[in-house]
Amino acid sequence: MNCLECQENLVAYLECVLDKSEALACREHLDACSSCRRECDALTRLQQRLATRGQVAARVSVVGRVMGRIRDTQSERSSSIHMIKTLLRWGLGAGAIAGVALVAVVLFSAKGQALASEVMAKGALAAKRLTSVHLQCRVRTAPGENFAHIDPSMDFVKVDLWKDCRRPSKWRVDKPGRVAVMDGQSTTLYLRAANAALKVPQPSAAAFDTGWLHELADIEQTLGAEMRLAQSKGSSLELSRETDASGAAKAVVTLETQSGLPDGDYLKNAFFNTADTRRVYRFDEPSGQLEALQVFLHTPSGDVLVMEVDRIEYNPTLDPGLFDLALPQNVNWIEEPKPAPDDPQAAAMTAEQAARAFFEACGREDWTEVSKYWPLPIDDRFKAFLSGVKVLQLGDSFTSTANDARFVPYEIQFKDGNVKKFNLALKRNGPGKRWTIDGGL
Amino acid sequence: MEEMDQEYVERCRNGEPDDFRFLVERYQKPLFAYLAGRLRDRALAEEAAQESFVRAFFALRRLDKPGAFHAWLLGIGRRVVHEFQRRAVRQVTVDCSWEPVDQKTERDWENDHLEEAIAALPESCQQVILLRFYEQLSCQEVADRLNLPLGTVTKTLSRAYAQLRHHLQSSTDPNPVGQPEVKP
Repeated sequence: MNCLECQENLVAYLECVLDKSEALACREHLDACSSCRRECDALTRLQQRLATRGQVAARVSVVGRVMGRIRDTQSERSSSIHMIKTLLRWGLGAGAIAGVALVAVVLFSAKGQALASEVMAKGALAAKRLTSVHLQCRVRTAPGENFAHIDPSMDFVKVDLWKDCRRPSKWRVDKPGRVAVMDGQSTTLYLRAANAALKVPQPSAAAFDTGWLHELADIEQTLGAEMRLAQSKGSSLELSRETDASGAAKAVVTLETQSGLPDGDYLKNAFFNTADTRRVYRFDEPSGQLEALQVFLHTPSGDVLVMEVDRIEYNPTLDPGLFDLALPQNVNWIEEPKPAPDDPQAAAMTAEQAARAFFEACGREDWTEVSKYWPLPIDDRFKAFLSGVKVLQLGDSFTSTANDARFVPYEIQFKDGNVKKFNLALKRNGPGKRWTIDGGL
Repeated sequence: MEEMDQEYVERCRNGEPDDFRFLVERYQKPLFAYLAGRLRDRALAEEAAQESFVRAFFALRRLDKPGAFHAWLLGIGRRVVHEFQRRAVRQVTVDCSWEPVDQKTERDWENDHLEEAIAALPESCQQVILLRFYEQLSCQEVADRLNLPLGTVTKTLSRAYAQLRHHLQSSTDPNPVGQPEVKP
C-alpha cells in the first residue's frame, strides 16, 4: 500500500470497516511511514474531539419542551379571547387505575425506575410518526368553558381530539359547549351557546387553549418529555404490571411531580401545570402502545380524578368532514379589538377601576360601554345575567405567578337579590392596551 | 437520504409548524454541545438551547437561506449565550451530570469553533458527522439510516474531516488538528 492508498483508506481503517487484508496493509504502511502516521494521529484527535462532544450531548432532548413552548406562544398569539389562560403544559398528575386486577409487584427500586423508563421509551417508539390519532377523553370541566378549564368539583364532560398528521395537518377538538377546528388553512373556534365564532386566518398548531391536548396527542414526545422530566427533577417512576379481565398484560407507569408554584398562589392546583399531582400511564405489554392515562389532582380531601384518556386510536381513518366546520348562517363573528378614541384614558385605568366600570355599565344596561370590557358578543343570555347588577364591594387586585392577569375580588348583587363573591380576571388587550375581562364571572 | 433542512424550513413557513420538530431533533445535540462549551452549565445550556430553537422558529421567515439553517441557528445560540452571560441569570454551578474531560479541555472548548465548522460543511457531510458522532451511530448504522453504501459514508466522513480541519486551521482554533501535539 502506498501513501495515496493509505490516506484514501485511513477513515475506513480508523472506523474498523476495512477487511482484514486491507487493514493489515494499512497498518504496515503506517508503521513504516511517519507522514501518514502524523495524518492518522491528526484524524484520531479530531475524531476524539467529535466523540467527546457527542458524549456530552448524548442525553439531551429538548424537542418536547421546544414544541410545547412554540404551541403555547402560537396559541396565545392566535387567540384574542383571553379567558383564563391555561397553563396546561402537561405538568399534572394522575392517580390509580381502577377496574383491573393488580397481579404483579410494584417496582420502586433503581432497577424498577430503569424498567419504567424502558416501558415509556417503548411506548414512544410505538407512537412514532403517526399519520392520525383520535383521543377520547373525559374531563371535569364546565361544558362551555374554555378547553383548558378543569374543576375537581364538576362532573365529567366528554372531550375529543382528532388529528390528521399528514400534510397539511388538520385537527379538531370538541366538547359540548365549543369546538375548534384547524382545516389546514385557518383555525376557527365556535361557541355553541353564544352562537359566536372566531376565525384566525392561519393554520395553528394549537389555538384556543387546546395545547395540552395536542401535547398529549403527540404521544412520542409526551412520553419522552415525561421521562426527561422525571430524570431532571429526580421524581420517581413506578412500574407495576397488571392483567385485565381478558388476561392481557399491561404495564402501568406512575409519576409524581411538583408544580413548583408557591403555596398560597391563587392558581395553585387550579390548573394542570400548577398542581402537585400524579400521572398514571397504562401500556399494552405486547405492542408497547399507550392505551390510557388517568390524571388525579391532589386535594385536601384526597385525590380526585380530573381527567382521563380512556381510548386512543392510532392511525384511524378520519372522516374529512371532521375538519369542515359548518357554522349557522346567523353566527356572530368575534372581531379583533380595534383602536378607539378613548384608548389613552382606558389604558390609564387600574384593574379595579376597569372592574367597577364594567359592573356599573352592566347595572345601567349600557351595553355599548360593557362591550369595551367584554370580548364576546353580548347576547340576551348575558344581558339577563348581568343587567341591573350592583357592586357591593371591590378589593385590591392581586396576581398569580402562573398567569399575567390581574384578579379583582368582587362582591355583586344580582337583580333577584342573590349575591356573588369571586375574583374577576382582567388582562390588557388589543392595540389600546385596554383592560378586558379574562374570566371570573 | 433524509429530507433536507430547506424542505423542513419551507414546510414550517407554509403552515406546518409540527415539522420544526425534525429540525430540533437534528440539531439539538450539536447546539447543546456548542452552548454547554460556552456556558459550562448543563441546565443553563439546555435552557439556552430551548430559547434558541423557539427564537429560531418565530424568526424562520427572516432566514434568507433555508439550507443554512444550522449555521443560522448557531448564530442565534451565540446571541442567547451572550444574553445569558450578561444577565448573569445564574451563578456558574457545578452540576454532577456535567463531566468535562479536564479543566484545560473545558477552558479550550469555550473558544473553539468545532460546531461552527460543522455548520459550515455541505449538508451531506454535516448529516454524516451528526449521525456518526452526535447520534453515536456506527458507520454501518449511518449507511443503513441514509440508505447509502458503507464506502460512501467513509468517503463522506473523509471529506468532512478534511474540510473541518481546513476550517479550524483558518480560524483561531486552540486545538489545531493538523499539527501533532508538542509533547514535553
